[in-house]
Amino acid sequence: MSRMPIRMTVNGKAAELVAEPRTHLADLLRGALLLTGTHLGCEHGVCGACTVELDGIPARSCITHAGACDGAAVRSIEGFDADPVMAALREAFSAEHALQCGYCTPGMLITARDIILRLPDADEARVREELSGNLCRCTGYRGIVHAVLRVLAERRGTAP
Amino acid sequence: MTAVGAADAPPQGVGASLRRKEDARFLRGRGRYVGDITQAGMLEVAFLRSPVAHARLLGVTKPEGAEDRVFTAGDLLGVGAIRAASNLAGFRVSEQPVLARGKLRHVGEAIAACVAPTRAEAEDLAAACTLDYEELPVVTDMLAARAPDAALIHEHWPDNAFLETRREEDLSDLDGIAAAKVTRRLRTARHCMAPLEGRGVLAEWDPRLEQLIVTSSAQMPHVIRTGLAEILGLDEAQVRVIAPDVGGGFGYKGILLPEEVVSAHLAMRLDRPVRWIEDRLEQLTANANCREHHYVVTAWADREGRLLGVEVDATVDAGAYSSYPFSACLEAAQIGSIFPGPYTLPRFRCRTVSACTNKPPILPYRGVARTGVCYAMETTLDALARQLGIGTDAIRLANLVPPEAMPYRNLVGKVFDSGDYPEALRRAIACFDLDRLRARQAAGEYVGFGLGIFCEQGAHGTSVYHGWGIPMVPGYEQALARFTPDGGLELRTGVHSHGQGLETTLAQVAHEVLGVPTARIRVVHGDTALTPYSTGTWGSRAMVMAGGAVAEACRLLGERALAIGAVLLQAGPEAVELAGGAVRRRDGSAAVALEEIARTWYRRPQHLARDVDTGGLEVTAGYRPDPDTGTHSYACHAVIARIDRDTGAVALEDYVVVEDGGKLVNPMIVDGQVLGGLAQGIGTALYEEMPFDAAGQPLAGTLADYLLPGATEVPDVRLDHMETPSPWTRFGQKGIGESGAIGPPAAIVNAINDALHRFGAELTDLPASPARVLAALEAGRRR
Ligand code: FES
Ligand code: FES
Repeated sequence: MSRMPIRMTVNGKAAELVAEPRTHLADLLRGALLLTGTHLGCEHGVCGACTVELDGIPARSCITHAGACDGAAVRSIEGFDADPVMAALREAFSAEHALQCGYCTPGMLITARDIILRLPDADEARVREELSGNLCRCTGYRGIVHAVLRVLAERRGTAP
Repeated sequence: MTAVGAADAPPQGVGASLRRKEDARFLRGRGRYVGDITQAGMLEVAFLRSPVAHARLLGVTKPEGAEDRVFTAGDLLGVGAIRAASNLAGFRVSEQPVLARGKLRHVGEAIAACVAPTRAEAEDLAAACTLDYEELPVVTDMLAARAPDAALIHEHWPDNAFLETRREEDLSDLDGIAAAKVTRRLRTARHCMAPLEGRGVLAEWDPRLEQLIVTSSAQMPHVIRTGLAEILGLDEAQVRVIAPDVGGGFGYKGILLPEEVVSAHLAMRLDRPVRWIEDRLEQLTANANCREHHYVVTAWADREGRLLGVEVDATVDAGAYSSYPFSACLEAAQIGSIFPGPYTLPRFRCRTVSACTNKPPILPYRGVARTGVCYAMETTLDALARQLGIGTDAIRLANLVPPEAMPYRNLVGKVFDSGDYPEALRRAIACFDLDRLRARQAAGEYVGFGLGIFCEQGAHGTSVYHGWGIPMVPGYEQALARFTPDGGLELRTGVHSHGQGLETTLAQVAHEVLGVPTARIRVVHGDTALTPYSTGTWGSRAMVMAGGAVAEACRLLGERALAIGAVLLQAGPEAVELAGGAVRRRDGSAAVALEEIARTWYRRPQHLARDVDTGGLEVTAGYRPDPDTGTHSYACHAVIARIDRDTGAVALEDYVVVEDGGKLVNPMIVDGQVLGGLAQGIGTALYEEMPFDAAGQPLAGTLADYLLPGATEVPDVRLDHMETPSPWTRFGQKGIGESGAIGPPAAIVNAINDALHRFGAELTDLPASPARVLAALEAGRRR
């Protein structure tokens, strides 16, 4: 099968790659780049486990063709170690027991960070709605919802 | 050697809601699941799977030029079939070929393994194979399976049943004396357990060790090791099974997989690492494998609602094969022993059938048969209460085992260890304003209140499992505890943690016994080469069994440390004690930290006398509760459900769980287990269903068709704990991992029926989808 060249910025670093036209972004990240924090739960765009940031916006890397990412900036869970919002979320996820097996967690965190930045006034119902594209089979979501609400409250200065 | 150990550190032992040690790696995306692991030269496998539910397999044509990369049953020399028999009387034995041989018995059954450097290329190979088969009549319905003219799935059997069990009791007099009698026909739907990570396996042969190393997303690595060795004809010491991080199990990964056997065989044969990663389509269509029950329940009660007797005819759709190690009959046979639930039922008659159908083989999903049983018993009780005109609380209070009867042996011999079941019910009800609910109903609102109460037997051991006679019977659970030369504590356990937080809770147990800070304790699990044998993580057993074993190993390790510490303190053995992570003189004059004791043993033995205990600072100890019939946690679920009369959609307005898991080792983690299970139970109640058409084709091939509850479907549950210790376990803890998944269908459908019966409607089949709710309302209208 033919292979195409792809140039991307991944977690702040330039990457030059080749991929088959049928390769999806998640396989490219997990394979050639060894960034296995991006997980695959369905490979058809429903579960959200593969969520990464693509040009600043959360995207499902399983239904994003790698070839369509030429010139794009991608940030995977490995690229947030210096990010203060992610640090606050990680702290809150642990405190609220928002993860069990950890498989949904990277995608959940990237979606959660987007909620925090985009919807600073979100209430519980809105947070649940915004999280509804990320499935978790382990936690029953309460810890996740509470963790997001906790960080929102901290940032509004209304934390208890 | 003074002032050792901080007095006012926050609690870390049993009972502390300690944050999880494992979180750090998961939060950074540094968990290591089988799909994250690659090896140089690795080949990927794609399976060619059966497109039909029942057929004679006549041949497979391999793509030209790829004959050496496609393997069918005939190519697997020396590989046996999977055999999971039970010695329950009448169990019919069958074999599950690891690749189909002669017949195809369900859609998705593996026929050929295709190997290539990438999965995509392996799939290309599978797509290029051609199949020759002759279709046979299909058996999709578990009741029709036993019709005299039904096609036989295993042709050497007289009919399509793995097992039929009977508990006989003559109930014919009850019609004459009962104040009320109801009969209900109920169904639960076939499910996928759907952990977010699918199954997966990476196999390789290590020529130096002459060992097969299998890395598998597994809940019970030691059991897999035994099964693999048997089926591949290897010494067990030649097989090492590693279960790395596992993205959820719930029972789905408590199995020896045909794919595991094939991948292992190919790794040895091709002398290359071989990996198979299940994708979601395979999981949904080839492995929808649990929860499909059918019940006919008749119950008789007196005027006060006291049960006089119950008769049950239960069928479980067990699919086409008997899975290793739990077998095809465990679930149905369990129904016969748990149907009486938390009640003092005086008379009981029960027949169960494990029906064989052209569907994937079943596995015990979180709650196993209890979710279906609780649903059947609890909805029947509500029907009785409605007929008698008494409250749904009253009928339960009239029958629950009272606390003063504990420990209580029921009529089928189950022994409940401890607890106050009526109190759980009262506490749950007290959380609601039911007068307001009745007023809303009187005003015509489609709302209802429902209860579900049950107990969960967990950590049941030898005395229970030897009776099933399946390939695996749990005995003593072992754990190893040892100090490292730098004074750290290492725990090794054969159970596996895949979300349960055992890396934290077992450290808490060790801290409780030895006082070592949990930051200095590491839990090693998931590798048969590194851990003592265990049947693994299933049956809500890990915290009771591995917790008990870790405590025992640490106790013995403490005794060894105490002897060494006494020498270092120049004190007699009776003058010292172990406290706060140090050996101390009882008079308070001096202490030596366990770290120092470890350093001395390993690195400065010249300070020790020659006759010191030579066992050193490493202990493997076994644990088994006495009696080992299992703990019984219990819970009452209570819910208000609102029904949209136009769409049939059900909303859960308020959900309360009162739970008793005995002593909670880590309350935060227990809450997580209950809430996670509850979300799965809500799925069972309202959303999850794998329909099959008449040809045996599974109809939900994506997660857009097979609906898992999301954040908007699971309410913010109110959770209350009672903590009645089990008298039989090390700290009084009880198994509680499955509980949350048991109660929701019962409570939710009871709430729905509380709303619907005013309109002459009643729901009997799960899930309570909008279509079923509307159909029930329509039927009510026509009545
Ligand atoms: S793996 Fe991409 S949405 Fe599920
Ligand atoms: S923590 Fe396991 S899927 Fe979310």
